[in-house]
Amino acid sequence: MHMADALLSPAVGGAMWAVSAGATVYATKKITDMDLSQKKLPVMAVAGAFVFAAQMINFTIPGTGSSGHICGGIMLAALLGELPAFLTLASVLIIQCLFFADGGLLALGANIFNMGFIPCLIMYPLIFRPLMKKGISKAKLAGASILCCVLGLQLGAFGVVLETLASGITELPFGTFVAMMQPIHLAIGFVEGLITAAVVVFVWQVRPELVESSVHKEKVSENLSLGKVTVIFAVLSAVVAGGLSLLASAFPDGLEWSMEKVAGTTELEASGGVYGFVEKIQNTLSFMPDYDFAAGTGSGTSVAGIVGALLTCALALLTGFIITQMKKKNVDGGH
Amino acid sequence: MADIRNKISKVYSFEQMSRGNSIIHRVHPMAKIIVTVIYILCVAMHTKYRLLSLSPLLFYPVVVTALAEIPGRKIFAQSLVALPFCLFAGISNIIFDKKILVTIGVVAISGGVISSLAIIARCLLCVSAVLILVATTPFAKLTAQLVRMHVPVLFVRLIEMVYRYLGVLVEEAYTMIMAYRLRSPGAKWPHIKDAGSFLGQLFVRSMNRAERVYQAMVCRGYESGIYANQNEKMKLSDYLFMMIVIVPTVFVTLFI
Amino acid sequence: MLNINNLSVSYPDGNKAVDDISLNLEEGKHLALVGANGAGKTSLLLSVMGILSFEGEIIVDGIRLSKDNIAEVRKRTGFLFQNPDDQLFMPSIYDDIAFGPRNMGIDEETIKYRVDDRLKLLGIEQLKDKTALTLSGGEKRMAALATVLAMKPSLMLLDEPTAFLDPKVRRKLINILKSLPHTMLIATHDLTFAKEVCDESVIIKEGKVFARGKSSELLYDEKLMDEGGIEAIGVER
Repeated sequence: MHMADALLSPAVGGAMWAVSAGATVYATKKITDMDLSQKKLPVMAVAGAFVFAAQMINFTIPGTGSSGHICGGIMLAALLGELPAFLTLASVLIIQCLFFADGGLLALGANIFNMGFIPCLIMYPLIFRPLMKKGISKAKLAGASILCCVLGLQLGAFGVVLETLASGITELPFGTFVAMMQPIHLAIGFVEGLITAAVVVFVWQVRPELVESSVHKEKVSENLSLGKVTVIFAVLSAVVAGGLSLLASAFPDGLEWSMEKVAGTTELEASGGVYGFVEKIQNTLSFMPDYDFAAGTGSGTSVAGIVGALLTCALALLTGFIITQMKKKNVDGGH
Repeated sequence: MADIRNKISKVYSFEQMSRGNSIIHRVHPMAKIIVTVIYILCVAMHTKYRLLSLSPLLFYPVVVTALAEIPGRKIFAQSLVALPFCLFAGISNIIFDKKILVTIGVVAISGGVISSLAIIARCLLCVSAVLILVATTPFAKLTAQLVRMHVPVLFVRLIEMVYRYLGVLVEEAYTMIMAYRLRSPGAKWPHIKDAGSFLGQLFVRSMNRAERVYQAMVCRGYESGIYANQNEKMKLSDYLFMMIVIVPTVFVTLFI
Repeated sequence: MLNINNLSVSYPDGNKAVDDISLNLEEGKHLALVGANGAGKTSLLLSVMGILSFEGEIIVDGIRLSKDNIAEVRKRTGFLFQNPDDQLFMPSIYDDIAFGPRNMGIDEETIKYRVDDRLKLLGIEQLKDKTALTLSGGEKRMAALATVLAMKPSLMLLDEPTAFLDPKVRRKLINILKSLPHTMLIATHDLTFAKEVCDESVIIKEGKVFARGKSSELLYDEKLMDEGGIEAIGVER
């Protein structure tokens, strides 16, 4: 479910970055204020590595021939509490982004939101904890885990759809995109839910204090009403992401296809409005407005453009090759 | 099974690469971070049909990889990992966007083909920029810059420690999987009904180990707050490096 | 070098891991702590590092351990953990050895020299750029020892240093420890090791000092050792 840089516009990516960064700073501050940092730091760190390792272990699902693994959001929230869980997942996602190309740097904010913020800061406090209010039991833990994982993944997948569409890079119509993403993630969420339930129940039986202390976070839930903060964050992110992306260059591209559908032509937009304005700026600024496909179509210039681009690529590769050869020679000469 | 350990050895191979001593390795980490961020933003600012003007941006990853003497093939192979989701979006563009954008002779190219190629190109460029950053900058120096950028110290320490524990925990998971396979011939992965005791056990063990490793770190002064300060100032050459990359990249993005 | 007066350490459940122990150790001496599993050896060592809270008094190198000078005491004291995997957490052995000195704020140039020097001293130069993942048990032990030595401690606390070692590496470790000038407090089950490395031994039983004496006599004293909950050297049953 990792988003990639190439599917996000800078505006949407930036807005998601702002939301996730805000949540991270907030969570860090809360944990420091509650003076949990000393005790929680090693626990969070090793839990992060645990999630990382656990994600690599697959479990065979009988009768399907397939296997599943976890993302870990709900599991961590149940075992560590929501704020430490969120920070832990964020750090795991950062490391995956840096070393494994799992989602890019620009998409990091969106990924932390979809896979960390939603399960840890929305699902857990709003669904998991209330379900445990009247005492913890095996069945309740299992049910809440499955429910939260399924809902969390649905919401996360929906987030991916919205973020991608707001960026205006994919041509997938909203309906089709949703119809593809949601059912797949329903199945994934259910499997993750089963695994999460099993682990949470196991840990509750062996080390009940871990699960109980996460549920009974009186300190957290009383004096800051996390639900409120969460809702504010969510609304804020939607507004900011939507607004920014409309203002930014994504607007004409993103809505182009729907314009086409509605108006039956793309000429309409070129004549005025935001698109015309943007195009005007682009034309004034551009030295070679016809160079790329974005601006126009003249087939002659396009051929020149394509040849030029291919030559540029070749030149780049050649430069790299020459530098490498020279370096090698230097090393050989040195011996 | 080897899969479990492979992933971790990838992390370590980046760490090994990052301790090289090339001209790129010697650039101030902050300069490299700034360059990487601006580069990625510029790549992402290319709207969907802008494919050709991405070509000059290829210079950055290729030339820097060569100058840094890191294996370009490895960087490229690792970049490919990011592709699947982009391919999914790319292919759907081909299906849904059939508007003819260019005709060259008798060949007509639709907008979808161009935008999907652009997605793939952008994806590879962005990802390789990040991989180059971690392959030329030791992780500890990167995180030191995060502190400088006012990222909360607790969070930076958390990232560092997750990074440090990865190997230990993966090794433990590996041992458990190994033990499982030895006792259940033919089974590649444990049955889902064992997930609770399997991961639960791993978690509980992890908690115990966390305590000990933390103690070991504290014994060597981790907690006392004194921390390696890579507060070197940026030199003229660092600014020069930034200019050389940023100016052409921004120029290409905005004006071509 | 090390003075421990009326030290007590309690478990969270109220039971005492260490119960009113007093010990002193002169500069340059090696003292072995022997005793059954759970006798309180590790707890004793951890409290000297200021990791476990305790009652009583611990004085390291003239400094009375308290909250304010914990960093100072840790600078002078090296701790070798029973499991080297707990101690090697960085991505390369070089970084592991440099970890302590870096935290002390030493410049990279000096650190580099120091790391190379320790690697050479222990004969493990070839491990410098390796990750702990790929090391054998013996190599890990030596690398962990290097991480401790790199901090230039005056006092060293060693918890089961010969655990997981094959005879050859064990012999190498014995020779190295004998040649080091540091003051050492060593918790161990390996009595012949204790006899070779430490002039004196202490038997710890149920958190108390049960007996103290010359290693060459005490560790062979069947009656005393048996009462202390361990098996004397040379006993066969």
